[in-house]
Amino acid sequence: MKLLAIETSTPASSVAIGRDGALTAMNVHVDRRGHIGFLVPALEFVFDRAGWDASDVDVVAVDLGPGPFTGLRAGVATAQALAAAVGARLVGVDSLSVLALRAATGRRRIWPVVDMRRGQIATAPFRPLPGGIAPDGPTEVVSPEEFRATLECEPTDTLVVGDLHALPDGFWSGLHRVKRGRPRFPSAEVILEIAALRAERGEFISPEDLRPRYLREPDVAINWSEFRSEGLWP
Amino acid sequence: MSEPIVLGIETSCDETAVAVVEGMTIRSSVLASQTDLHARFGGVVPEVAARAHVEAIRPLVHQALSAAGIYSDQIDAVAATRGPGLAGALMVGFGFGKALAWSLHKPFYGIDHMEGHLFAPRLEFPGYGPPAVVLLASGGHSQIVHFVEWGTYETMGRTIDDAAGEAFDKLARFIGLGYPGGPAIDRESEGGDPDAVAFPRALRDRPYDFSFSGLKTAVVTYLEQAVERGELPSRADVAASIQEAIVDVLVDKTFNAVEATGVRAVGGGGGVLANRRLRERFAIEAERRGIELFVPSGALCTDNGAMVAAVGVQRIRDGVEPTAWPADIDPGLALGT
Ligand SMILES: [Zn+2]
Repeated sequence: MKLLAIETSTPASSVAIGRDGALTAMNVHVDRRGHIGFLVPALEFVFDRAGWDASDVDVVAVDLGPGPFTGLRAGVATAQALAAAVGARLVGVDSLSVLALRAATGRRRIWPVVDMRRGQIATAPFRPLPGGIAPDGPTEVVSPEEFRATLECEPTDTLVVGDLHALPDGFWSGLHRVKRGRPRFPSAEVILEIAALRAERGEFISPEDLRPRYLREPDVAINWSEFRSEGLWP
Repeated sequence: MSEPIVLGIETSCDETAVAVVEGMTIRSSVLASQTDLHARFGGVVPEVAARAHVEAIRPLVHQALSAAGIYSDQIDAVAATRGPGLAGALMVGFGFGKALAWSLHKPFYGIDHMEGHLFAPRLEFPGYGPPAVVLLASGGHSQIVHFVEWGTYETMGRTIDDAAGEAFDKLARFIGLGYPGGPAIDRESEGGDPDAVAFPRALRDRPYDFSFSGLKTAVVTYLEQAVERGELPSRADVAASIQEAIVDVLVDKTFNAVEATGVRAVGGGGGVLANRRLRERFAIEAERRGIELFVPSGALCTDNGAMVAAVGVQRIRDGVEPTAWPADIDPGLALGT
């Protein structure tokens, strides 16, 4: 089974292709913007490298977030188009799981962090298992202060991974049972592993259901306050 | 030689629109309008638009292909709007189109949205072409373009503040009509007297440029004073007078450009060109001067996928190189500058 994985939920975009979870070729690019400029050239690069054609792909896997919305949409639109063009099945993964899976060593509870901008992060707890992870609580979008308060209440040793630059200076002081770790960003290579397992179990998502996990309502500020909306006529 | 078949995708603002065009014949044109989504905010909310596009794009492409009765591998190229427009919205259609084209081994063309509007009349009038003067007016843009030849456009004038469609939206809101304002004022003006109130026509000294912010202020001031005097005219009269002021300026300046260039053809595109009074005034003015008029039906004036596909067809006919894969959107793209 040939798989393609697309990761655009953070400033580090990557695409990877592989057979049954084993990596064949990968391309990574770090830039806050420009996912749309990166994606197709990156696809071309990895497919050329592997000697594959788009039509060889059986499964397209994509990170649905949480993460900055523009990146998520770039990944979802690209995955939708490619899967529709070649008739591939779809798998949607969660950015926090991708981070946690790569961090899973030892026994610490893992809290992956994704920068949601505007002073917020997305996070969720994961429990390490032999050879994997299990979600251990709900995903939340919170301020660093709220996250710190959560960590202070953690009863066990914990590991925080992900984009730690989203947390302010002084965040760590006094958090003695908390360790900082890697990776900083999710990677398409890990998505490939997750997708291979899901595909084996037949856990696909229908194209209608493949949409970004925003976890935040859109901003709707429109600056027309000078205009009344009722008007003068009854 | 058979005519190229192009799939066109348009997501620059609040309509997800997809079409299949063969030569200059529309084989299908479908659209998911978000007007209702944005109506309660009184204007287009970029993040709301982008979210709606990413959900609508795949089913609409599928629908456009089925309605055209073709499989995706039968198209010769994919064309998608590259700008101008809302970045988050543009990205969805442009990204989808590029990935689709690449997967199908088809060329991809990133298209200027305004060039699409300028091209749209060609889909209804085989005789439309350069040299012509074209008025492009919508919620985001108002400009007068000298269409010199295919691919050569000179912007002669533009708005220095609000776009014409924006003026309609804001004034409609002010007089208590809903969003979108253009169609609302068009409807309300029926039976109203366009000469009831003499609102100002701005920028008399600049032959091709527009300004609508002064009109906004004038309407606000006029209505405040009218209420004070206890002589408030009917809303239909006020709407018709506002419409007349906007239309007057658009018509005057367009025909100033016609005179200056000496062209014998006038075209139009953009949502504001769907306004019935503007179309009527254009028809009268063109007839009076013996100028040929090329303003397509309303559905081709407002945003649509067919106009984007049509420019793609022209690119192929002209042997233009496809857009390179690393290309990105360009929200600030400006035609004819
Ligand atoms: Zn438009």
